Amino acid sequence: MRTIADINDKINRHCVVVWTIEELKARVVEAGVTQAATEVDVVTTGTFEPMESSGAILNLGHTDPPIKIRQCWLDGVPAYSGFGAVDLYLGATQVAESSDGEEMRERGGGYVIQDLIAGKPVHLRAVGQVTDCYPRASFETTITRDTINQFYLFNPRNLYQNFIVGVNGGDRPLFTYLGPLQPRLGNAVYSNPGAIAPLFNDPDLNLIGIGTRIFLGGGIGYVAWEGTQHFPLQKRLPNRTPIGPAATLALIGDAKQMDARWVRGCYFKSYGPSLMLGVGIPLPVLNEEVVARCAVQDQDLVAPIVDFSIPRRVRPIFGLVSYAQLKSGRIGIDGKSVRVAPLASIYLSRQVAIELKQWIEAGKFLLSEPVAPIPANQTFLSQDAWGSQIAID
Amino acid sequence: MKKRVTLTFPKRSVQMPVTYRLAKDFNVAANIIRAQVAPNQIGKLVLELSGDIDQLDAAIDWMRSQDIGVSFSNREILIDEEICVHCGLCTGVCPTEALSLDPQTFKLVFTRSRCIVCEQCIPTCPVQAISTNL
Ligand code: SF4
Ligand code: SF4
Repeated sequence: MRTIADINDKINRHCVVVWTIEELKARVVEAGVTQAATEVDVVTTGTFEPMESSGAILNLGHTDPPIKIRQCWLDGVPAYSGFGAVDLYLGATQVAESSDGEEMRERGGGYVIQDLIAGKPVHLRAVGQVTDCYPRASFETTITRDTINQFYLFNPRNLYQNFIVGVNGGDRPLFTYLGPLQPRLGNAVYSNPGAIAPLFNDPDLNLIGIGTRIFLGGGIGYVAWEGTQHFPLQKRLPNRTPIGPAATLALIGDAKQMDARWVRGCYFKSYGPSLMLGVGIPLPVLNEEVVARCAVQDQDLVAPIVDFSIPRRVRPIFGLVSYAQLKSGRIGIDGKSVRVAPLASIYLSRQVAIELKQWIEAGKFLLSEPVAPIPANQTFLSQDAWGSQIAID
Repeated sequence: MKKRVTLTFPKRSVQMPVTYRLAKDFNVAANIIRAQVAPNQIGKLVLELSGDIDQLDAAIDWMRSQDIGVSFSNREILIDEEICVHCGLCTGVCPTEALSLDPQTFKLVFTRSRCIVCEQCIPTCPVQAISTNL
């Protein structure tokens, strides 16, 4: 029907038709899949949610005399330096330390990444290992994104294809990566924006692969690899969407171009710091099948309700609930009506899809062919420690 | 005039019919906004008192003389629109549904008149968009 080259040609000629995922879903309801597929070239999807498996690579550029950094703190947050002499990796969930070494749990790597992207100055303190090549023992300075050589996000796991709904069936409050969960099923939290989320609309990752160009934090990024915990073999509904956490993607993109509006440090009370990130993926309408998959609605998608009061890797679940029910704000569990709140920002997820649509319409963003597929048949190995796979029978 | 107060009762005063005494002795009407009272526990009561200003003050003095803690909750919840990302997390812990998401736009809606300033939402917000004015 269309190739990516055809679509890019239309983008260059400013005659491409781009719809957000919600515009497409509405059009399918009105006119059907076949008709919609003839009308639209690209569909944009987006999400804005905490993605804790994220971080930034910084290359400082060499000092004079040069230093081989072995320990480093950015605004008090330790950055990993066990590789190239002035290469650093700043993880989103890394907790800040005060000058006397005490943890400051409420501040972490996510905030430092946000500050750098916002153009704010960040204090850097480094300790080096003195060698003949690198005589310098320590270094202290203030950096900004414009004074460091390179600065890009490299996120090992973003964009969970579906996730869980957290509840607390115990009798004390729990502080989790989904926020506070009140005892005796006091509240529930879900974290995926449902039918508008990128990977629900390409459930088998037929369109998205390594090298796919994306919207990442307000700049241009790419799919780098499968994400950590990637679990494509999760059980799926007949519409091919998974019933729990499934595929994930690793993403990469130049942070110097990003906008702090889409990259937000955050802190979950008594859990720790993290990073909220806006990610958008364009889906090329290559054929009718693409539109049929994108037509999926919140009532066709489900997530498992998981009890966090049992601290095991495979936690008990209270069954499956549809995203239509989740978005209504209340779900029924064990005959009880429980208030449920999202954690992904549905409002900002929509804004990502709108912004990406505008980029494509303006000719600022071309689609790319994936260079290799994301593995579709990978099983999941766990240690005894906590993992994110949810086995549901 | 009206005053919003939070009363903290020591264990032994929980049984005392405070609102009755306020009405009868001071002609002060007490509208209960939130109550947390159980036998043999420290009790908390958020009241909106209305009456004549002198009688309100006298009523408050009397309550204090009875070992009831009185604090003025003219505290207000503030939400910084610039910081809020409309994630909605706070809506799940708000006991009065003063915080909710608009069903169409999914933007955060704060209905101040429903807020009892319990402050549950403050630590819940992952981007620290919520604070009190005090
Ligand atoms: S202070 Fe309490 S009642 Fe007011 S908005 Fe926050 S959670 Fe709701
Ligand atoms: S939790 Fe904070 S960021 Fe999220 S909707 Fe509430 S005020 Fe806004």
